[in-house]
Amino acid sequence: MASLTPTPSSPAKPTKPKPSHPPVSVLPSQFARVYALAHPALLLSLVAYRFNSVVNDPVAELLGDIPFLVGLQVVFVMGCLPPAGATTSEQKDAASSGTESSKKVPGPRRRGHPGKGTSGSGFSTGLVLVAWKLMPALLSLTLTILLATPILSLLLVLFGAPLTTHHALTFLCGAHMALLSVFPLIYVHGVDGAVWREIWGAARPVDGLWGGSLGTALGAWFGAVPVPLDWDRPWQAYPITILTGAYIGYCVGMLGGRVNGVFGKRIEFAPSQEEQGARVDVKVD
Amino acid sequence: MTRMAAVPAKWLVLIANILIPIAILAFSLGFFPYKPLIPGLAAFAEPHNAPPKVFDKVIFMVVDALRSDFVYSNNSGFLYTQSLIRSGAAVPFTAYAGSPTVTMPRLKAMTTGSVPSFLDVILNVAESDTSSTLAYQDTWLAQLRAKGEQLIMYGDDTWLKLFPGMFSRAEGTTSFFVSDFTEVDTNVTRHIPGELIQDDWSAFIMHYLGLDHIGHKAGPQSSYMIPKQHEMDSIVTQVYGAMEREPHLESTLFILCGDHGMNDAGNHGGSSAGETSPALLFISPKFEAIKADRESPVDVINELKYYRVVDQTDIAPTLAGLLGLPIPLNSLGVFIPEFLDMWHLGSQRIQLLLENSKQLLRTLKEAYPAYSFEQDSVPAKCCPNTQDNLEKAQCAWTQAQELLRQRESTGERDIQAEIEQALLLFLEVSQKVMSSSASNYDLRYLSLGICVTSVAILFALPATYKALLRYQHPGLFLMASILSYGAMMFASSYVEEEQQFWYWIFTGWTFYLHVRSSRFRRSPPATGGEKALPSSTYVLTILGAAMLAVSHRVLRRWNQTGQKFAAEPDIARSYFPSHQGILWTLVVLSYADIHLHLVDNFSSFPISQLACLIVTITAFTFKLVFAASESPELISESPVRHVAIMLNGIPLVLYARLAMSGIVILLLLSALFTKAKGKSSMKRVSPSTVAHESLALFLMTQSRVTNVPIFLILRLQLRALASMDLTSVEIAVTSLFMQYTTFFAFGGSNAISSIDLSNAYNGIGNYNVILVGILTYVGNWAGPIWWVSATKLLRSRLPRGEAQTHISLLTFFVASTVLSVMAACTILRTHLFIWTVFSPKYLYTVSWAIIHHFAANLLREVDLLLP
Repeated sequence: MASLTPTPSSPAKPTKPKPSHPPVSVLPSQFARVYALAHPALLLSLVAYRFNSVVNDPVAELLGDIPFLVGLQVVFVMGCLPPAGATTSEQKDAASSGTESSKKVPGPRRRGHPGKGTSGSGFSTGLVLVAWKLMPALLSLTLTILLATPILSLLLVLFGAPLTTHHALTFLCGAHMALLSVFPLIYVHGVDGAVWREIWGAARPVDGLWGGSLGTALGAWFGAVPVPLDWDRPWQAYPITILTGAYIGYCVGMLGGRVNGVFGKRIEFAPSQEEQGARVDVKVD
Repeated sequence: MTRMAAVPAKWLVLIANILIPIAILAFSLGFFPYKPLIPGLAAFAEPHNAPPKVFDKVIFMVVDALRSDFVYSNNSGFLYTQSLIRSGAAVPFTAYAGSPTVTMPRLKAMTTGSVPSFLDVILNVAESDTSSTLAYQDTWLAQLRAKGEQLIMYGDDTWLKLFPGMFSRAEGTTSFFVSDFTEVDTNVTRHIPGELIQDDWSAFIMHYLGLDHIGHKAGPQSSYMIPKQHEMDSIVTQVYGAMEREPHLESTLFILCGDHGMNDAGNHGGSSAGETSPALLFISPKFEAIKADRESPVDVINELKYYRVVDQTDIAPTLAGLLGLPIPLNSLGVFIPEFLDMWHLGSQRIQLLLENSKQLLRTLKEAYPAYSFEQDSVPAKCCPNTQDNLEKAQCAWTQAQELLRQRESTGERDIQAEIEQALLLFLEVSQKVMSSSASNYDLRYLSLGICVTSVAILFALPATYKALLRYQHPGLFLMASILSYGAMMFASSYVEEEQQFWYWIFTGWTFYLHVRSSRFRRSPPATGGEKALPSSTYVLTILGAAMLAVSHRVLRRWNQTGQKFAAEPDIARSYFPSHQGILWTLVVLSYADIHLHLVDNFSSFPISQLACLIVTITAFTFKLVFAASESPELISESPVRHVAIMLNGIPLVLYARLAMSGIVILLLLSALFTKAKGKSSMKRVSPSTVAHESLALFLMTQSRVTNVPIFLILRLQLRALASMDLTSVEIAVTSLFMQYTTFFAFGGSNAISSIDLSNAYNGIGNYNVILVGILTYVGNWAGPIWWVSATKLLRSRLPRGEAQTHISLLTFFVASTVLSVMAACTILRTHLFIWTVFSPKYLYTVSWAIIHHFAANLLREVDLLLP
């Protein structure tokens, strides 16, 4: 990540204060629009359907659910989102030309694509399209497993997950959360350092992707609330409520992030400049 | 202009701070009502008709925390006692001990037969208090004394405090040196042979503390437990042998009982099965006549309900009956029916039960004046399966009266059993009614307290609102935490597991700090400075939040607390005993760290440098010697034990005084040198830092040795926070969260049993309630006190006006927590857990608000409160 940072930043230096990437919207195709709505419903029904077996045997069930989750997420990112390369090249064009970047994203790629591949029937175009998108999907999947999962597991521990026991569960919980939140982000943004710095600082403009990731984290955080209750229910065991919270948060976040009033806004956590100013004033006073 | 607006808000905050204690006082008056007791001694209504006594003398042996399974189960050390159970000479029970399961209220229950109020818990901690004395109450001891009999007592000095002047011969042992397993007990045992030969006494009370100490120190599974049980069993052997041998002990009743049990961690005070199930045995060769085949030992039972379960209050009327005394006036006990067989005449047995019933009926009438128990007012259509216990009692009484009249008129003898049944039913039901009847809260005082607190909140609101308006995001976070904390007070499990809330909310706050500092960090390069920040500060800023998160994660595992996860392994109790080298390395590091900071901020005179060194070393070696004597399991395999052995001769009290006066001298020296040298000193002399470090040294002296390394972690957190350049509201929120988090990380909880008294006697020769109280507060609130002082350092760069918002926020927070706890206690006053969960929480909140908020937070900022 660090080695990649200078390359994009050095030419774009004058525009650095500007957001490095505009928010990403779902592709305008019919399938993308429908599936982007169906996806959270499918995920939630997976949670509801498998909930009892997760309670009974969490390790086996969480492991067994990973292929389904991967499948759903792969279909989602390939069907509904622009892959990394496309966005970045598009991004630069958009940044130089100026406006309406997000709307334009799919357009030129589609135009450019048939030129790249051989001209043929619609079906084979579709096949090529899938193959062309499969590569970044597989790459981001690998990165998700290798990098994001350990990092998320570590974060889980920092936020209170058991350190000396339940290793498999923590890791699986981290894997599920990484597949939900990080996988689409890698698929769309690749390893662009500027974007990831924004993500690390929670400074991304809100879109379906970032909303989903933030929702996953918040959902998992709120998911810890029922654990200390003395109801003695089997589902209160770690990490069931946390992961359920993460799933719900992801779905709420990815849908909510696309709502008109929210889309494109940033979470202004701390207007640090103003605070600095205010403090100087007081000192003078 | 801002100053003009600030003055009234500031005065309002001051008024709010005055209102909080008033509100607490008002609420407490209504919440802990003074229970009026019937004064005087009971007397038989018809002395000539009273059933004859079965025993002349009683030997009352209390073994503190003698849980039922310690005597009855098949891995018990009470082998001889078990043989007595098999022969029938010992009649075993499990005596239900209601909450609060601490010694003084339990002794009250056993002697007066009444259910002690929650106030007794507080009085149990403040043991020197003599207002809790039973000297003027009706007890079986007082009854014996009134007959001119002699009583003697050896053991726990709580008895001496409860019954001043009652005993003709007595020796008390204090229960405060908890690590003493043997001395407290040999001090009792050595009197036994002599007293068993004497025949001038008619009640001989022994109270052994060693078993309780083992529980507190090492838990019920400790390796000390079985040998101690054998020791107690040998005393039973000795006493029983004398009872068989000595003619003057021929008609003696021997009672062996525990005052309360213990939970799996060895503590008590709450209402778990372990804590409420002590053993109770009535022993005498005369009981062999009552045919009852009992097996002993029995398998381990989960709920610890061995044999029949009776109430602990039943001891008083049973003892009174067997000794031929009137039943104490305030007793709620029921004569244990197993012993009815000691009387052969049916009329005597009925007379006994009738005495008991009439006495209980009196208390019942007193509690429910609206109910009439006169027979003609109750219709005969008594429904046997009515849910209302009071109605049931009324019914049973009418029925018994009916049967009694029938017997009188017809002279029928065969309804004897029926009458006994009816009377026993009445006794049982009315006992249930009386002990479950909530104490009568004074709702006017409760609502007065709530109203005054609300006014205090309103007064603190303007200043708070102004601060929050300025810094919206941390303000929102604080408001959300206050609201969720308030809501949490209504759920018993969240009160028990309060630490989880603080740990959880703190992770969220760490995330906020991370985001905030990561944005703040990006701005300087944008404004032109090309990575000009000094590298170490830069790294600290980047890693600040991560460091906070990691250190916080370590802290929350340091001491497991609460109820649900209390037994899980942690660092202080599971890791350190088996890794003593690491523990002592960390402890040495903590003291070395304090020393370095002291030297750094002190004047560079060699003599003052030497003073720092001497004081730090004294404080450290005190901790070492203290650990060697109080918790040898933490030092036995570590190389530092040689040092501890070397220093063994010095008395601990003297040592503690040395360490504490050294700390005071340091403070004085630092103030002196600053004045003398002024600003001309070339070195950075900072008296406020010296004050903070000296305070830290004192707090370390007052903390358990396993908690000493926490101060290293706290310093790390302080550095991380200092690098973040926080605003006043952020500092206030961080300080609040840190104070609560560390309170729980040091092992605190909302249970009475978790109050740590191990360091409350450092340097104190004689019991002094104020000094012990202060040291108890310091020992339990060490983490919060440290953060109060550290916050002052954090805030030193902020201007004065900004710092005032700190107080407003703290006041607002304290008033809101007090309000939510008061509201929860009022609304849930009939809740099952009111005495076990919510009342202790109220007491803790009072300590937080009165002691911690006033003594620490406000005193530290007193210069800001004054105009």
